[in-house]
Amino acid sequence: MIPIEFFLMFAAILFVIGIYGIMTKNNAIVVLMCIEMVLNAANINLVTFAAYNGAIMGQVFVLFTVAVAACEVAVGIAIMLNVYKVKKTTVIDDLTELRW
Amino acid sequence: MFIEYTWLIPAIPLIMFVIVGLLAKGDNNRGGGLAILGALATLVISVLVVYEFLTGDAYATEGFVTESIKWFSIGGYEITLGYYVDGLTCIMLLFSTFISLLIFVYSMGYMDDQGKRKSRYYAEISLFLAGMTGLIVANNYLMMFVFWEVMGLCSYLLIGFWSFNHPQGDEASDNAASAAKKAFLVTRLGDASFMAGLFVLLYAFQSLDFTEVFNVAAIGNVDHNLIVIATLLLFGGAIGKSAQFPLQDWLPDAMAGPTTVSALIHAATMVKAGVYLVARSFPLFTQSAEVMLFVGLIGGITAILAASMALANNNIKKVLAFSTISQLGYMFMALGAGGYLMALGMNNSDPALMALGGLGYTAGVFHMLNHAFFKAQLFLGSGSVIHSTGTEDMREMGGLGKKMKSTSITMMIGSLSIAGFPFFSGFWSKDLILDTVLNASKYGSEGYLFAIVWILGIITVLMTAFYMFRMWYMTFGGPEGPATETCHGESPKSMTVPLWLLAIFAFGSGFLLLFGLDGIITIDAANGFLVGTLAGEGALYWVEHMLTNPYTYLSIGLALIGIFVAYLMYSRFAVNPGKFNKEGTSWLYRALENRWWFPQFYDWVSWTFGYKVGKTVNAFDQKVVDGAVNGLASAVVESGESGKYMQTGNVGNYASVVMLGMSVIFVGALLFIYYMGGM
Repeated sequence: MIPIEFFLMFAAILFVIGIYGIMTKNNAIVVLMCIEMVLNAANINLVTFAAYNGAIMGQVFVLFTVAVAACEVAVGIAIMLNVYKVKKTTVIDDLTELRW
Repeated sequence: MFIEYTWLIPAIPLIMFVIVGLLAKGDNNRGGGLAILGALATLVISVLVVYEFLTGDAYATEGFVTESIKWFSIGGYEITLGYYVDGLTCIMLLFSTFISLLIFVYSMGYMDDQGKRKSRYYAEISLFLAGMTGLIVANNYLMMFVFWEVMGLCSYLLIGFWSFNHPQGDEASDNAASAAKKAFLVTRLGDASFMAGLFVLLYAFQSLDFTEVFNVAAIGNVDHNLIVIATLLLFGGAIGKSAQFPLQDWLPDAMAGPTTVSALIHAATMVKAGVYLVARSFPLFTQSAEVMLFVGLIGGITAILAASMALANNNIKKVLAFSTISQLGYMFMALGAGGYLMALGMNNSDPALMALGGLGYTAGVFHMLNHAFFKAQLFLGSGSVIHSTGTEDMREMGGLGKKMKSTSITMMIGSLSIAGFPFFSGFWSKDLILDTVLNASKYGSEGYLFAIVWILGIITVLMTAFYMFRMWYMTFGGPEGPATETCHGESPKSMTVPLWLLAIFAFGSGFLLLFGLDGIITIDAANGFLVGTLAGEGALYWVEHMLTNPYTYLSIGLALIGIFVAYLMYSRFAVNPGKFNKEGTSWLYRALENRWWFPQFYDWVSWTFGYKVGKTVNAFDQKVVDGAVNGLASAVVESGESGKYMQTGNVGNYASVVMLGMSVIFVGALLFIYYMGGM
């Protein structure tokens, strides 16, 4: 059996890549994708612990998370579409209207 | 049978106030009709209640009938709402509702030319009647206080009735507005004192119900000093409401209102409330001879001070206003002297002294009853004169007697009554009062002060007779003045009929004493302050008592001298009054003309104390309170101002901050777990 550390390490790497992308990338679509990666890292953790502890709740929970993530992406992309219609750009650095 | 419906007595005028106030519109007399209907219903119920009470069983045994429902409770204190009927309530109810009804009827004529404002007027006088009757039937001090305040409000509204569009022009309007404010604010001083008295009473007795507070056993259990404080504070309320020295100055100014309102305030309601308060609280007041001495002294000072001011006034209504203050002084004199004797009698367990004290109570309340009739008569008479001539200045009148027969004759009756002419109503009560005061001067270590009060009272008899007939001769006697030539003649029937009715009472109400009225309005300290023992002395006793007392002849003599001097000066012009005051330049005359500079004194007090205190408080408010509030607000604004640059608008920055925070929490949690030695 594959030791649990492998899965956890994989999830952590995925999480950090996602965070790095959110913080540094300049393209809104890429940022959205990175958010998905962070979510999925969490999902992997849930599934891993569920499998190793024999608790089915974790896997059920992941199903919910996936559904929520799908909605979230739909909303996010819809926002970006509208932003693009108005501003003709999806570059985050140019979208700084909401500030002091 | 009827007594259960005592609550209707204040309720009906209150309902009429709402109906007239909300529904009566336009220039018609519907409002007046409704108000008169309400007053009539109130009078009928009052008569039925009084009849049932005086013929019932409770009267002879307990002396009162009371019933109440719970109003509200604060902590352990329960405040009730109900009625309390005893001998004093009966007398008050009868004269105040009867006189109010007559004044309402008279208003139909007097206020007929007021157009659309009539409805407002009738609504307000209905509320006034509700206030007075509510005060009279209240079964506890708080309820009394509420109606007391209702009257304060009504006096403000009615005195200021002509604050807009005064028939005599803008200056008179301003005058009315400031008189209304003055009446409200000055009586407010007394009201605050009354309220403080209520707090002390509530603390001392744990209740404000008359049945609890007037209980002899309960009074015995309470600290004597608390009762002294409470009664002094209650008397402060009476000083404000009944316009006693040193708060007397609002009443002459209150003449700015319609004359009917003055009659209502002076005869049936408002100023009688203060006397009623003291008479009602007699069981408490008689606990201390010193308090009663104070009441008597204030009464004596007020009586002579106000009478002196009336000597030099040329405004027909103001002369009457001063006479009211002076007569109220007599009432407090009587209550003070009677209470003083009763307090001494209770200390020494001397039933004879207590009985003499009860006589003082009778005298005070009896004078209130008589005064109500003759003062209502005089005011309505002066209203009739003003209605006809259009001026209040007596120097422009004169010779009206031929043109206004009813008014002049009825006012003659009223003047004779107030002057204490033998067998007119004022004679009986005034001499009873002077008799009591003289009795009080013979007992106790401070009794000699009552001798001074008696001297003040007897001088006031002379002054009263003089200024009342000065007024009568200046108005109705002598040659015709400019206003007389243009007057409209006698007033309409709706005004003269009440005048005649009141004149009959002003002449005859004193004879009630001969039919055992003294048994209804006396108080018996030996039997738990039973009001009305029915042990009236009856007819012959009083006639004999009065006519065998040499001091009665002294006061009759002084009254006759006063009338005669007035006749010489103002009807025959045999003596020039200007001779005595250096044609109006002597300092005494100027003092009287300026009301002993009391208005200036009020102004000085308000400007130096009121205004400066106000300014200090204002500065404190603006600097300290506002400073703290504004400082806090600007601190928030400043911190927001400096912190706003964190909002860059760049999503990446926000994410970084969130991550940083997350990491700090996470690392912190790990460190914490490590430090605690594992999970």
